[in-house]
Amino acid sequence: MSKLTLEIRNVKKTFKNKTAVDSFSVVLQSGDCVGLIGPNGAGKSTLIKMIADIINPDTGEILLNGKKISLMKKEIGYLPQYPNFFPWMTAKETLMFMGKLSGLNRAVLTSTIPSILKKVGLSEEEDSKVGTFSGGMKQRLGIAQTLLHKPSLIIMDEPVSALDPIGRREVLNLIQEIKQETTILLSTHILGDAQEICERFIVIKNGLKIEDTTSTELLQRNSEDRLNIEITEIDHKWVGIIGELPYVKGIEVIGNKLMVKMENLEANKNLLLGNALKHNVNILKFEVGNDTLEEIFLKLVVEK
Amino acid sequence: MNTFIVLVNKEFTQMARDFKIIWLPLVFILLGITQPVMTYYLPAILDTLGSGQGITIDPSMTNQQGGEILAGTIGAQFDQLGIMIIAISLMGIIQTDKASGMLAFILTRPVAVFSYVGGKIASNYIFIAFSVAAGYLASYLYVNFLFTDVAVSDMLIALLFYLIWVIFIVSFTAMISTLINSPGLIALISIAFLIGCRVIVGLNSIIDLVNPASMSKHAMEVLITGSVNSNAFVNLAVTLVCVAGAIFVTNYWISNKKYSNE
Repeated sequence: MSKLTLEIRNVKKTFKNKTAVDSFSVVLQSGDCVGLIGPNGAGKSTLIKMIADIINPDTGEILLNGKKISLMKKEIGYLPQYPNFFPWMTAKETLMFMGKLSGLNRAVLTSTIPSILKKVGLSEEEDSKVGTFSGGMKQRLGIAQTLLHKPSLIIMDEPVSALDPIGRREVLNLIQEIKQETTILLSTHILGDAQEICERFIVIKNGLKIEDTTSTELLQRNSEDRLNIEITEIDHKWVGIIGELPYVKGIEVIGNKLMVKMENLEANKNLLLGNALKHNVNILKFEVGNDTLEEIFLKLVVEK
Repeated sequence: MNTFIVLVNKEFTQMARDFKIIWLPLVFILLGITQPVMTYYLPAILDTLGSGQGITIDPSMTNQQGGEILAGTIGAQFDQLGIMIIAISLMGIIQTDKASGMLAFILTRPVAVFSYVGGKIASNYIFIAFSVAAGYLASYLYVNFLFTDVAVSDMLIALLFYLIWVIFIVSFTAMISTLINSPGLIALISIAFLIGCRVIVGLNSIIDLVNPASMSKHAMEVLITGSVNSNAFVNLAVTLVCVAGAIFVTNYWISNKKYSNE
């Protein structure tokens, strides 16, 4: 893997009166796999497009290995949100065309295209017109296109958001595979996907970077001691009883599910269970819970 | 330079796949044939269709010189229907790439904006010049067959002048296709402006000097009189400057990413 540093310095972009990305700075090192997460309209696509040099930032700069991004296009592989190729070209011709534009010669391309098509599972379709492709196939062809010129940085805009579960799985597996070889920056609003592929997350909201951390750190930092308990309808009065207990800090009730925040969970969870048994509560589920990434994300994005 | 050739090749492949490579030359050949054939047979047509009573057909109509008829092909066919066909066939030249995101996508590769714009204009111009020339040559053959012969040198000089005007048609339409997003509006503006330019030729000698459409008038003059107007070379220079201007605006617009209106 070639050495690489992507520096985004104080980048700002305003459309009409709406600030899409505001004073955004971040540094990526080679080998990173970074998930850019945020709700719709947070500025993810704008930021990705600025890195891909499709739109210019109003202020700030984006440098790859210390050079302006517009001079380093050979080092970048870009996958747009909806990869749209010429429908009249076949898969093979598309890769040939994009590869040549990336400065590769015909001989190199003829030898690498079949193996790349095989990697993305499109070998059978190499002579089919792109116009007949499904969304997932276009996405995989898009990924093939980013790999062609062996870039040191691959940026993907919502690579799996528009796909059905099967297509999603195919693309996620593919990204897992290619992340061994290059640095990846991808945006998504589906946390499970980001959690699966990336080690590092950047959370963006209203154009501002609100978090830049690893997934384990994020989970640890935001985890609270609490129990998830599921009971039946008739035992709801028990909720009032445990509310009085000294080690219970708070209860959240959603239907038959209780989220009980506890003081010193380890020591007190059995006391609570004993209490439930004493009141003859019909327990359906009793588990020690941690916030999932999704809950942490919601907390970060909604509350802050 | 390399990417320029790749993009030119892509344009030609696309034209072949769309069958544009067949229908556009055919349309121009038909347009080219129309003028001599219609002029030649018009008296006969009127004679058989009309009752003939009260109509006197000037027998000199079919006695026109070949050069005049060929000039008629340029003035009455190519500069009217021809301009509309060119503008409509080119309205999406850059607009479709803008709309599909392919323009932005292509430019994420190490491709100079000028290679893209140059590739588009060069390939489409070569093809349209070929179509126009095919129609013009068809017209020339019919004129020589049905009327008097036109000198080969006059025919070639006139074609050359006319093709200079065609460069302007192509680059102007490409510029409008870059600046505007709606294909209908692109066609409308291009057709209105280009035919407008052609219509005002001859009204004012100063405007004529800076009007690219004057090249078409010079082409017709060569065919009718057999001599080149002294202003033709000034016009040629002015037209090429206009073409450069249109290409510059297109290039500037795309380089500054003004096309992405998100």
